[in-house]
Amino acid sequence: MPHARAVAGFACWLVGVSGAPAAGVDFRRDIRPILSEHCFACHGPDAAKRQAGLRLDQEADAKGKLPSGRRAVVAGEPASSELLRRIGATEPAQRMPPAWAGREALPERERALLGGWIEQGARWETHWSFVAPRKPEPPAVRQREWVRNPIDAFVLQRLEREGLRPSPEADRATLIRRVTLDLTGLPPTPEETDAFLKDASRGAWEKLVDRLLGSPRYAERMAVRWLEAARYADTNGYQSDGERSMWRWRDWVIDAFGRNLPFDRFTIAQIAGDMLPRATLEETIATGFHRNHRTSAEGGIVEEEFRVEYVADRVETTATVWLGLTAGCARCHDHKYDPLTQKEFYRLFAYFNNVPERGLVYNFGNEEPYVKAPTPEHLRRLEELDSKAAAAAKRWAGLQPRLAKLQASWERQLPQAEPLDWTISDGLVTHVSGDSAEEKTGGCAEAGLAPGCHLEQAPGRVGMARAFDGRRFLDAGDKANFSYLDPFTVAAWVNPAAGTGAIVSRTEEWLEGEGWAVYLMDGKVRLHITRRWTDISLRVETVEPVALDRWQHIAVTYDGYRKAAGVRIYVDGSPRKLKVLFDELTYPFGAKEPLRIGAGGGPKFHFRGLIDEVRVFKTALEPQQAAVLGLLETMNEIAALKPAARTPAHRDKLAFCYLDRFAPEEMRKTRREMLDARRERERYFESIPTVMVMRESATPRPAFVLKRGAYDAPGERVSPGAPAFLPPLDPRWPNNRLGLARWLVDRSNPLTARVTVNRLWQMLFGTGIVKTAEDFGSQGEPPSHPELLDWLACRFMDGGWDVQAMLRIMTTSAAYRQASRATPELLQNDPENRLLARGPRFRLPAEMIRDQALAVSGLLVEKVGGPPVRPYQPPGLWQELAGGRGYTEDKGEGLWRRSLYTYWKRTVAPPSMMTFDAPTRETCAVRDVRTNTPLQALQLMNDVAYMEASRKLAGRMMKEGGAAPESRIDRGFRLVLARAPGQREARLVGEAFARFRGRYGSDPKAAAELLSLGHSPRDAALDPAELAAWTAVASLLLNLDETVTKE
Amino acid sequence: MDPITQRPLLLTRRHFFGRGATGIGVAALAGLLDRDLSAAASSHGGPAGLPHFAPKAKRIIYLFQSGGPSQMELFDYKPRLEEWQGAELPDSIRRGQRLTTMSATQSSFPVVPSRFRFARHGQSGAWVSELLPQTAKVVDELAFIRSMHTEAINHDPAVTFLQTGAQIAGRPSMGAWLAYGLGSETKDLPAFVVLISPGSGGGGQPLYDRLWGSAFLPTRYQGVKFRSVGDAVLYLSNPPGMDAAGRRAFLDTLAALNQVKLEEFGDPEIATRIAQYEMAFRMQSSVPELTDLSREPPQVDDLYGPDARKPGTFAYNCLMARRLAERGVRFIQLYHRDWDHHGKLPQDLPRRCRETDQASAALILDLKQRRLIEDTLVIWGGEFGRTVYCQGRLTAEEYGRDHHPRCFTIWMAGGGIRGGLTYGETDEYCYNITRDAVHVHDLQATILHCLGIDHTRLTYKYQGRHFRLTDIHGQPVRAVLA
Repeated sequence: MPHARAVAGFACWLVGVSGAPAAGVDFRRDIRPILSEHCFACHGPDAAKRQAGLRLDQEADAKGKLPSGRRAVVAGEPASSELLRRIGATEPAQRMPPAWAGREALPERERALLGGWIEQGARWETHWSFVAPRKPEPPAVRQREWVRNPIDAFVLQRLEREGLRPSPEADRATLIRRVTLDLTGLPPTPEETDAFLKDASRGAWEKLVDRLLGSPRYAERMAVRWLEAARYADTNGYQSDGERSMWRWRDWVIDAFGRNLPFDRFTIAQIAGDMLPRATLEETIATGFHRNHRTSAEGGIVEEEFRVEYVADRVETTATVWLGLTAGCARCHDHKYDPLTQKEFYRLFAYFNNVPERGLVYNFGNEEPYVKAPTPEHLRRLEELDSKAAAAAKRWAGLQPRLAKLQASWERQLPQAEPLDWTISDGLVTHVSGDSAEEKTGGCAEAGLAPGCHLEQAPGRVGMARAFDGRRFLDAGDKANFSYLDPFTVAAWVNPAAGTGAIVSRTEEWLEGEGWAVYLMDGKVRLHITRRWTDISLRVETVEPVALDRWQHIAVTYDGYRKAAGVRIYVDGSPRKLKVLFDELTYPFGAKEPLRIGAGGGPKFHFRGLIDEVRVFKTALEPQQAAVLGLLETMNEIAALKPAARTPAHRDKLAFCYLDRFAPEEMRKTRREMLDARRERERYFESIPTVMVMRESATPRPAFVLKRGAYDAPGERVSPGAPAFLPPLDPRWPNNRLGLARWLVDRSNPLTARVTVNRLWQMLFGTGIVKTAEDFGSQGEPPSHPELLDWLACRFMDGGWDVQAMLRIMTTSAAYRQASRATPELLQNDPENRLLARGPRFRLPAEMIRDQALAVSGLLVEKVGGPPVRPYQPPGLWQELAGGRGYTEDKGEGLWRRSLYTYWKRTVAPPSMMTFDAPTRETCAVRDVRTNTPLQALQLMNDVAYMEASRKLAGRMMKEGGAAPESRIDRGFRLVLARAPGQREARLVGEAFARFRGRYGSDPKAAAELLSLGHSPRDAALDPAELAAWTAVASLLLNLDETVTKE
Repeated sequence: MDPITQRPLLLTRRHFFGRGATGIGVAALAGLLDRDLSAAASSHGGPAGLPHFAPKAKRIIYLFQSGGPSQMELFDYKPRLEEWQGAELPDSIRRGQRLTTMSATQSSFPVVPSRFRFARHGQSGAWVSELLPQTAKVVDELAFIRSMHTEAINHDPAVTFLQTGAQIAGRPSMGAWLAYGLGSETKDLPAFVVLISPGSGGGGQPLYDRLWGSAFLPTRYQGVKFRSVGDAVLYLSNPPGMDAAGRRAFLDTLAALNQVKLEEFGDPEIATRIAQYEMAFRMQSSVPELTDLSREPPQVDDLYGPDARKPGTFAYNCLMARRLAERGVRFIQLYHRDWDHHGKLPQDLPRRCRETDQASAALILDLKQRRLIEDTLVIWGGEFGRTVYCQGRLTAEEYGRDHHPRCFTIWMAGGGIRGGLTYGETDEYCYNITRDAVHVHDLQATILHCLGIDHTRLTYKYQGRHFRLTDIHGQPVRAVLA
């Protein structure tokens, strides 16, 4: 009997295996993780993959009768529990987890735990993090005098249970450096350190913490981690990786931390600020959070495939950041471990699915939806320019009565005056009149033949016109080479003999070729602007055709904003109704071909009929100008008309002509000033940054379960909603993104507060109470101090989601203030310091390492916010991967700003940050990673940024540290480490200085070279050999383990 | 399991290469470092129990041809296309399969045959086009797979898929998996090195750092890019004014100062830091030694061609790949860019071939003559194939081809591979596979197999899931294995 054997074996484990608890098995702590790790993949939430009808993540199923008639778990009866029999089976075919799936048998200890648990009644509990936290009472502890606040009671209780004692408090110098780095990301100055060391008052520590929390540096420090979670970057990612502008969102985040915006309101703004009643610009900017994801501008992609990717990214990021859930696991199938079904994934998806956005984005700037996001400084300047423009406009308006009088008297003499004609010439690139038999360039051409043919002339609309026979055309030379951001206008008189043909073009000789062209197509006037016909082009035509065999004036204008909406087509001066055929002009284009009249797009499109007075402008003419251009009457003729008989175009032509040619210079000057002021305002407005934001479409896009997660395999239609294992949305909230945001930070949500305080804890202590900061689900690691986590979470919510208050209580605890020295026993038994029997000691994050070097050397330029900056970077890094112009270092202060402002190109992230484990910003990242590699050593020793910082630090040591080497060394230690050197250290550094001093004294060239690094000026007052030797010493200090470590 | 009582596997010791403690000058570190290497982990911190079976190859040189080389012009000979020149691709072949938006809305899909001639070569009689005359001479060493297919239709997802097993970024690259699984055979160089050549056109699809990233694997497993401009490894050189002797003295003082701290704090992280500075110092000589070609005999110029000593060329990178292989680097990833011939294929494709043909063949011959081929796996190929129909304008002189995921050709050679083999078949239009399809995950499983790894068992737990290179798919292609 297999049963009997299994039971006998089981009894053995209970008595025979040391360390196997015979009593007190805890389901959440001991059992669920085993089931989750080894069983849920086939016997868990995923209904599609469930084997043998057995489900072990829910009590009723686990204890119920199986299709086979057995029961997996029979409380109190190990011998009847199929689960125990199967995990203990010796025949490979019987044993679980199955050998055929490559799975090993469970370790004895785990089998014993399962056995003990069933024996003890198989008590079941919901996964800990899905149950709302209740604030526990701080436990009673023996060493009560150690406890400074409730955090300590929880920590100490655990230590006492393990038979351990907390470490003594760290010395004050260590403490001020620790907390200053933690709360501001920068080290304390020696003066700050001294002041704190001298402050014997009660509450000196609390005062220090409050000072740091109030510093603008605090906001910048907090923003960095949030930018990583938000996958913030200055480029789009994927392979094209074009530039975007999201820094106004970044500055919103800094500002929000600075004013300690409660985390619940912060959350609502990030997720749905745009949907708040009477949302402000700032609240809208906040929603850039969910536009920070990567976007693709790769030609040829299927739009929907990527749009779906963006929405899924929003779901996954929201789940990671607020809920600590790995929602992405439920995108293709039900979650294997957590009770999140695939359908529920797509119900969350539905909340983020209604953005009017595209899958293929613009590669050279922000993609819609976006908003203009002026800073207060921008608004102030804009106001200035507005009043300047208004003043100029007012001056101009003031001249109008006089101008009208002058123009009227000019008009009165016109009928008798010399014949006068005039037309628009501002921005004219070329004018081909057809009057001369010869053209200056190119001349007549015929496809496939050498130039030199003859184009007939015929009476034109004005003088002579060219006659086109369907074969020959006019080569008008290398002109009008526009690209997609250039406005232009093409105008001509045409008298077509056939409905289809090219009027004017600069394009390859085939219809789908690259370039621009104005055609008649079945009589309709059509503009093509093409980079690639199939996906990067713009095509617009008139709804109505023009007439054949009759002169008509045609004008086509394009405003340079790469949208079909910016195209106007006029026939005989009046704008025509247009039909948009294609509207995807997202990329620059150009054509090597010349400007052609009567041809374009290949032989099939050679023009038949007459063309006269071709004009191409490098501006998009205004409607009045287009109308005037199509007006043939001379000034004299118009003036002869009775005012009542004049059309608006007549009047415009008179006015334009008078202003252009005859008005007094003083008036023309006033007009120019008015126009210049208006243009200056427009240009400034253009320069104001935009930021991509969330917006809801008027009609929500339907959402579906996507089978296998594939964009092209929609299944059941779903409505937005919260997963069933979490509380539902309050019916008083709208069931949309705003409702979801409120739900995230509702008191009933068991996850958000825990997940958030855990990240704060991780920031200070190096590891979260839940180590898997990104996964609070079944497969995540259970909390090391569950009651502490719940206490903190409740305190956070009860205290109004006050982030600074949480940091205050954490940093003022005794646990935080412990010395970080480790005994060999502690290292052996608790290498990761999860029990907190000592203070945190770990390597600084990437940005702090660089910022600290800038700060202690005096190079740091402190300025909050603004566009990204480009500090030192080895040349060629961008080009070797992507070609192009590459990276251009800033000159001046951009080299020395805090690292959170460094330009972040996703596909080639800044090496100074990547080497020190900064997340790539490709996707959301919330867990801190710390490695220790030779590349880090190379960077700290050799990067120009650190050598420049060493030189400046050396200068400070010399100038601030007195004359003796000892005192300069002392100053260096105080600047960098906030402490004096020990005896051995001082001796070692002193000897190193002497060696370097000797070396650079005898080799001035080497000294000069070493001092040449970096763009900051060198202090000429300092002796080069001395400064070089101190630079080497300063570099030594910046490379110390302690320097890059928080102790 | 309680995270504390369950003694965690010590992954915090971030050794960059292999066993960090060996060969360093600071006493008493070895013990500290060794202690980290708990029995559950291998000596480099990776998983235990690898390789799973006797490997045929110890290292990989992957000659990645980025952009998607045309199979029809290079390896997959389709004589009947001549007859169909200019004719519309039949719906019975296209079968409504998705196309990129670059060509999906073309008014016509005219078939265009290869402009280049084919012949059979070697004892195996493999078909190779006239564009690859040197490759043609080594065909008996190569196994051609003409039935590769992928799921992605655009570069980013396709390259990402081939290199990481998933189309969307976020998984470790193949090299990172191997560095994690097998560690390094050298302590002076990284386990995973990346070399890039742009192609003389200066264009082509961009590459991105994440292609050799480690994603959720510890960052020490990521590829290190050896650059052709400036320092081969970022920040390798001492700054001007700091010579090697000065650096040595600097490091001695630094180690002594860190040692003071180590004695006081007992944090093994300090010991690791000291070791990593020593490793950095060793790299300062091992990397220049690697890139110093002055002692390569003149024959290498004949073998690899005139570009052999020109940094940034494919030939130089092939020579470098051989030198890296000799020094025990586990995964040597080359990229040659600009194979994306949507238009002007007859002009541009021969250029890419000229840049790569001789050096690819030379690498095979060189490895063979040094007896390295026996345990080095070499792979040549891109991320997808190209369409039989013309993209854009078809004229007497010019044509182009769009991306084609349904079939493409790669070759493999060396350790574990049966040379002189052509595997898989496509239809007469070179559009669909008719026999022995090899999916990207199959290729990945095959590569791992050559290195003694069961692709289903090289896993890493992240976000609660055991991830692997081949996701939940893949079968080694037994037929190409020796």
